[in-house]
Amino acid sequence: MANVPTDERLPLGLEALAGAPAPARTGRWAGHLDVGVPAAAIVLLFAACFVWPTLLPLAKPVGGNIFEANLGPLSPGHLLGTDTVGNDVLSRLLYGGRTSLETALAVNLIGLFLGGTIGALAAYLGGAVDAVAMRGLDVLIAFPALVLALAIADSLGPGQGHTILALSFFAVPVFARNARAATLRLRELTFMTAARLCGTRTWRMLLRHIAPNILPQLLTFGLLSMGAIMVIEGALSFLGLGIALPDPSWGNMIFQGQQSISATPLLVLFPSAFLFVAVLAFNLLGDALRARWNVR
Amino acid sequence: MSSPTGPLLAVRDLVQEFEVRGRGGSRGGVVRAVSGVSFDVRPGETLGIVGETGSGKSTLARAIVQAPRPRSGSVVFRGADLARLRGRRLLEARRQLQMVFQDPYASLDPTWRVEEIVSEPLVAHRVGDGASRRSRVAELLDLVRLDPRRYSGRRPRELSGGECQRVAIARALALSPALIICDEAVSSFDVLIQAQVLNLFERLRVELGLSYLFIAHDLAIVKQVSDRVAVMYLGRLCEVGPPDAMYRRPLHPYTLALLASIPEPDPNRERRLHRTIAGEPPSPIDPPSGCRFRTRCPRAEGRCAEEVPPLRVVAGDRQVACHFPLEQEASP
Amino acid sequence: MERQVTREPGLLLEVDDLHVRLRRGDREIRAVRGLTYRVSVGRTLAIVGESGSGKTVSCRAVMGLLPPTAVVTGSARLEGKELLGLPDAEMREHLGADLAMVFQDPVRSLNPTMRIGAQITEAIQEHLPLSRGEAGRRAVELLERVRIPLAGRRFHEYPHQLSGGMRQRVMIAIALACHPRLLIADEATTALDVTTQAQIMELLLELQRELGMALVFISHDLSLAASYADEVMVMYAGRAVERAPTRTLFAQVRMPYTRALLEAIPRLDRPAHSLLPVVPGQPPDPSAQHVGCSFAERCPNVRPACRETAPPLEQHEPDHFWACWNPCQVGWAG
Repeated sequence: MANVPTDERLPLGLEALAGAPAPARTGRWAGHLDVGVPAAAIVLLFAACFVWPTLLPLAKPVGGNIFEANLGPLSPGHLLGTDTVGNDVLSRLLYGGRTSLETALAVNLIGLFLGGTIGALAAYLGGAVDAVAMRGLDVLIAFPALVLALAIADSLGPGQGHTILALSFFAVPVFARNARAATLRLRELTFMTAARLCGTRTWRMLLRHIAPNILPQLLTFGLLSMGAIMVIEGALSFLGLGIALPDPSWGNMIFQGQQSISATPLLVLFPSAFLFVAVLAFNLLGDALRARWNVR
Repeated sequence: MSSPTGPLLAVRDLVQEFEVRGRGGSRGGVVRAVSGVSFDVRPGETLGIVGETGSGKSTLARAIVQAPRPRSGSVVFRGADLARLRGRRLLEARRQLQMVFQDPYASLDPTWRVEEIVSEPLVAHRVGDGASRRSRVAELLDLVRLDPRRYSGRRPRELSGGECQRVAIARALALSPALIICDEAVSSFDVLIQAQVLNLFERLRVELGLSYLFIAHDLAIVKQVSDRVAVMYLGRLCEVGPPDAMYRRPLHPYTLALLASIPEPDPNRERRLHRTIAGEPPSPIDPPSGCRFRTRCPRAEGRCAEEVPPLRVVAGDRQVACHFPLEQEASP
Repeated sequence: MERQVTREPGLLLEVDDLHVRLRRGDREIRAVRGLTYRVSVGRTLAIVGESGSGKTVSCRAVMGLLPPTAVVTGSARLEGKELLGLPDAEMREHLGADLAMVFQDPVRSLNPTMRIGAQITEAIQEHLPLSRGEAGRRAVELLERVRIPLAGRRFHEYPHQLSGGMRQRVMIAIALACHPRLLIADEATTALDVTTQAQIMELLLELQRELGMALVFISHDLSLAASYADEVMVMYAGRAVERAPTRTLFAQVRMPYTRALLEAIPRLDRPAHSLLPVVPGQPPDPSAQHVGCSFAERCPNVRPACRETAPPLEQHEPDHFWACWNPCQVGWAG
């Protein structure tokens, strides 16, 4: 390309200007609301589900007194009431949230590291490795996520560990695809050629050059799929396959609650609301980070 | 190893081609980017390679460093043919050959810091330990006039384009190379920064006894830094020789056309309209038969379509690949 | 087909004290700081500067092409009619018919999903009451006029099927579709090879003569200005620092910045391995406030006064404007 001067400090290309999001108000923290608000919500959720139960006196989530069943909200000792067998709803919401969040987090971490590694290796090494890995993963991706998870969960049976395993079958190929695409793009960049010319060996290229550069993309993808994983886990539990009752998760609480939805709608509404807020928060955070890191 | 009087780099019959996939059904093709290029770079010399888009000059640079490997041909650097070496042996042989790229930001890993970037070659070849590497990095940054205390910890996005290029040059110098390939290394800069970087190259050449293979599209820049210049068109060399002679009395019609198209910062100069060439460069996918310049050459005749003109020596240090070169005594 | 091209010689574009402030995240960039110049019918003005000098931004401000967050003050009048602050609908009437612009990157300026012919026809029909057939015929004529061989066939092709030089010719054809009075070429040849660049510049000048247009071309290349412009305006850090007819400027360069530019250009007549005379440093940060002359920290002629007050652009010699407290005295022996 003939002489294309680049601005020394700022690309004053108007494309860059047009793309920059205009902050609602000027001021340092107002411009970070897009990240701050969902991040705060997520932190609150985690605090509520993981910290609060250990600190505050809360009724147990299981083994409730049947004689205290179906109490409404703001009953003595039960802030949000009890369910049809007398378990404290608030407690079940928080412990259930812990389970749901843990599961989704575990699945995402497995997806990120295992899937990310497979995808990056496949793309970087190319050739036969790539072909084999991708065909294998293609088979898994071809199944709709829910169907795949259902099939595996069904054969394994309910339980948190099994649920995580089943959902990982869905997550790993998707992350691998993502990582592979990112690595393919990266592989052709000039600094990769420059690094190879320095004599850097393959494993170091992968660890020090590829990994840090694809991580932001995988991370935002992970955040965005937190929501999806939580919903699928909820659906599995709702169908009786995920987390086994009486252990709570938001999904199986919705399953339980729908049996008596006309009489006690709150038993469905509360877990649904929490699930909704969690998914929304992760999605918003993922979107905000993606916008920021891409503009850069 | 090569004899002291032999060339530092001897490229023979280098060929690089790429397959192009057809677009949804339409025919694909082969891009004949470099089609039989041969030249030498002597120790201590700067050879400039000039060509426009599609000439294949950047592809040539990559093929020389084997990234990716050329289709055929030999690249003998300090006595070892890089095209025949693999793995560790290639790394060793290539150690004294380094490259600086066109886009300064793109040639540095955005997640690395300057210190890590410049020491990468040292780490890869296991030279020294942490402390000695740090001091070598400081030395290198000094060479390129960047204060190590201010720059070591920075990331590329905190630097200007000119500063990034200096970091890239420092990295290229880490292993004390004999030859540096500059692939359009100043083309992305404005005039003033470009001049700074060119001066840096020149200074390093004198201080460290470097040789360069300097690739650019700008004839004036190439002349500024080169002892000899090679003009490239569509994968082949047209003319090679010392720039003064070549620019004053070009032998190849393409060289003449290039010279005529350059605007000079002198408003009193008559624009040499009648010598600008017509037409567009043909695609390297389907280059013309015989001499590839014949479709735009005012001197072309039948023979030009049938026979590829070889690059032959005329008058001392000059070579030309043309059946009907511009000077009578040069024609066969 | 030719519109009667009777133009009385006179001012076409008058720009006065143009200021442009852009927003980038939480920073404000003063891209243009008080620009004043004139363009006359039939003349060619070259606006020369490095990246960040504000040359492109100022022309886009005149054309109304900046994002809505940009703050533009001052005046830009086309034959007396104020262009700044015009509502979009009104501005669209002028764009193409009176003012047109050719950009640097034809890859992004042409719609990749539309055939060439359709894009030109669309531009024509925007301003002229012609039927599709008539507009189409005119489009082919335009393609021929910009020296595209086999114009009839190219009419039906897509942008990706053409080379860079061809695409730029198509851009010019679109820009000229309705015979604008003023054509702005924003680094139109920067991305092209030098041989193609020469062809395109020759084409632009020829068309200018035929159509009696005024031509403003923006470039970082002073040599291009020397070869093709009647008048040159040099910009640095958002201001015009020197302006003069081309011959005058090159014969007596006054502004040290212009001189630095000239001296830093590699020349064919310099000996190999010579060092280029160069000024240190970098252009100033456009988002920083600046007191005094923006070039002061790099200027070889700097004096204490330069750091205190920014010199105004004034006419010091006939037809020669510059903004410097301590200009070069000796002419530059080109």
